[in-house]
Amino acid sequence: MPTDNKRVRGPEVSQNPSLFRCKPAEAVPLHGPRADGRQRDQVDVRPVFVRCGLVSQAKGSAYIEAGNTKLMCCVYGPKETERKDETDMKCGRLTTDMRFAPFSCLERGSWIQGSQDKDFSLMLQESLQPALCLHKYPRSQVEVNVVVLENSGSVLAHAITCASLALADAGIEMYDLVLGCSIRQDGDSYVVDPSYMEENNSSSVSSENQGGLTVAFLPSLNQISGLQSDGAMTEETLTAGVRTCTEGCYKLYPVIQQALAKAVRKGAPPPSES
Amino acid sequence: MMEVCGSSNVTLREFGCEQSLLSRPDGSASFVQGDTSVMAGVYGPAEVKVSKEIYDRATLEVLIQPKVGLPSVRERSQEQCVRETCEAALQLSLHPRSSLTLILQLLHDDGSLLSCYLNAACMALMDAGLPMNCLFCGVTCAINKEGEIITDPTAAQEKESRALMTFAIDSTERRVMMSSTKGSFSVHEMQRCIAVSQKASEKIFQFYRDSVRRRYSKTL
Amino acid sequence: MAAGFKTAEPLEYHRSFLKENCRPDGRELFDFRTTTLNIGSISTADGSALVKMGNTTIICGIKAELANPTVEAPDKGYIVPNVDLPPLCSSRFRPGPPGEQAQAASQFIADVIESSEVIKTEDLCIERGKLCWVLYCDMMCLDYDGNILDACIIALLAALKNTQLPEITINQETCTPEVNLEKRHGLHIHKHPVGASFCVFDHSILIVDPTAEEEVLSTAQLTVVTDEEDRLCSVHKPGGTSLSGEKLQECISRATVRQREIQKLIDKVILSVKTMH
Repeated sequence: MPTDNKRVRGPEVSQNPSLFRCKPAEAVPLHGPRADGRQRDQVDVRPVFVRCGLVSQAKGSAYIEAGNTKLMCCVYGPKETERKDETDMKCGRLTTDMRFAPFSCLERGSWIQGSQDKDFSLMLQESLQPALCLHKYPRSQVEVNVVVLENSGSVLAHAITCASLALADAGIEMYDLVLGCSIRQDGDSYVVDPSYMEENNSSSVSSENQGGLTVAFLPSLNQISGLQSDGAMTEETLTAGVRTCTEGCYKLYPVIQQALAKAVRKGAPPPSES
Repeated sequence: MMEVCGSSNVTLREFGCEQSLLSRPDGSASFVQGDTSVMAGVYGPAEVKVSKEIYDRATLEVLIQPKVGLPSVRERSQEQCVRETCEAALQLSLHPRSSLTLILQLLHDDGSLLSCYLNAACMALMDAGLPMNCLFCGVTCAINKEGEIITDPTAAQEKESRALMTFAIDSTERRVMMSSTKGSFSVHEMQRCIAVSQKASEKIFQFYRDSVRRRYSKTL
Repeated sequence: MAAGFKTAEPLEYHRSFLKENCRPDGRELFDFRTTTLNIGSISTADGSALVKMGNTTIICGIKAELANPTVEAPDKGYIVPNVDLPPLCSSRFRPGPPGEQAQAASQFIADVIESSEVIKTEDLCIERGKLCWVLYCDMMCLDYDGNILDACIIALLAALKNTQLPEITINQETCTPEVNLEKRHGLHIHKHPVGASFCVFDHSILIVDPTAEEEVLSTAQLTVVTDEEDRLCSVHKPGGTSLSGEKLQECISRATVRQREIQKLIDKVILSVKTMH
């Protein structure tokens, strides 16, 4: 393994103390109400807290908190493309970078971006791109940076919502906001906006219909811009899942609209005297 | 080229310096303080990468190469100290949009390393003939368990000390250009160390003068 | 008009304020920005703190893991501090491995921890030569508006004070550690180091707690770290224009006052968190 010489290094190996716990971890209940008191098989999303324009250095920024999931997104640009060979005369470029803070998960993450971070970055880019009027920004690029401060499930879905909010805050022209929602299917039942425990707890013996689904949705155009699913699900389950996710997005919509309106009101210049 | 720097109150180890010993760089110097030894090379002013270009002055890059292996975070922090000291001493605005590269190769570390880097850097910059506002020198002081100040400590003395301070002193007003410390100490102790360093700097500047004179007396 | 002046001649713009002994954001030369602190907001970390100094925002999360001590120091644990300046916090930073500034900051924090003995690494030893704690202290900048070193030290100190390590016992029969995640205890904080950073303008004017803009325009920077016993833990001046002993003394006096203020702030916030639960 190549040694990292750009950081203060610790010991070669270290282990998470939870590997040596004396009492086994409590299992996530598979039936009845969920650990945080929400309802199973219903569009019961966690209440979200959103705020725009927190970062002074960025063109636009947003912070979202859903349960314990905490994310921050900053938008820089539009500015000149860095890589001259990729300059597009007709269309702007959207670059995304999503990373997890080392302390954001139960297991300490490494400093070097893993393949999961890169997958998320790509998914984020593909979900946001259809909503942006990139043709208005020829030869330039818009940078979207997301940092996950605490991962308590449904990170990608919230990252999409947060990023579109930050893009709107930056004044980048868009066709619509992009909202994200995810579900976790477990046999016949499903949970909306799953927590970290629910996401990583593939439990039941029946391997039928096990999987996760994240949908990026443009609410006023009623279109889906991104869809990511893993696991094996029947066709009916999947289409039902997509429908559930869009419903979840509609639940988020007023909260996001309010936050954006608040930011615009704060940023708007006072009415002129004339 | 060796010179003994023994004296009444401020004692430094044996210093040695040789300039222009490398043929490829535009300026070079080796600096020896006791068993600590550093080689320095300066390239430039030369063409600069577009991404690093500064429109009103030259871009200075300092690279520190350890004896074995790749430079780590510690070297990066030392590079920063040397670079910012050199930037203040050099008249960089005379060479806008160009690059200067200073490479410091560690040959042997026996304490007072950062000050040796600074001294080697100053001699190499002088050898390269770059215009400077002032010269600078590095002095390391260690405070041992008994509270005595040891200038230019060896690695063993550094290890036993409870505080270690390195200062860069400029040649015009003998003021502190750079300061890097380790361990905890009182304000009074630091003021004493600065005073001692200022005294030691006189000797080092005298050594600079002697070795440069000796060098040019040969070529003339 | 003023905005144009600021963009075209930033140095002259700042000078015109400094001439009147004040700064563009309304502060006097030796005023710090408002500092706010929030602790324990990250539940996945063993200890965490968020510091805001004006716009500058730093979050510090501490994760504890188990490792073998080194052969050279069998009774010592590890503290691994790292400063991250992600592209999120300012457009001046690029994605990828840490740049020079982040690396120098990480080394500075590591030096401050070692010099101040805020935590003794001996306290992290569980069984001599066999098992010890590693504290990964990751400081991430979320908004870069200058003076990250001061903010990092406050975030680190507050997060260390917030850290709760799980109880650990070694099973004598199997020689394996057993961890009780429910029962936790805090760390012993020996010292409270706090930093104060200064910028030198035009080779002579000193200002405290510089913003990102002031940092760029200044000719030298200086950070003084002191603890509650007024001992200096670090006088870090990475170069730049020279400074006289008297000016240095002024900085140290300001730093000791700052140490009192911040220690009081941390104690207040910790107390308020305790009473909330």
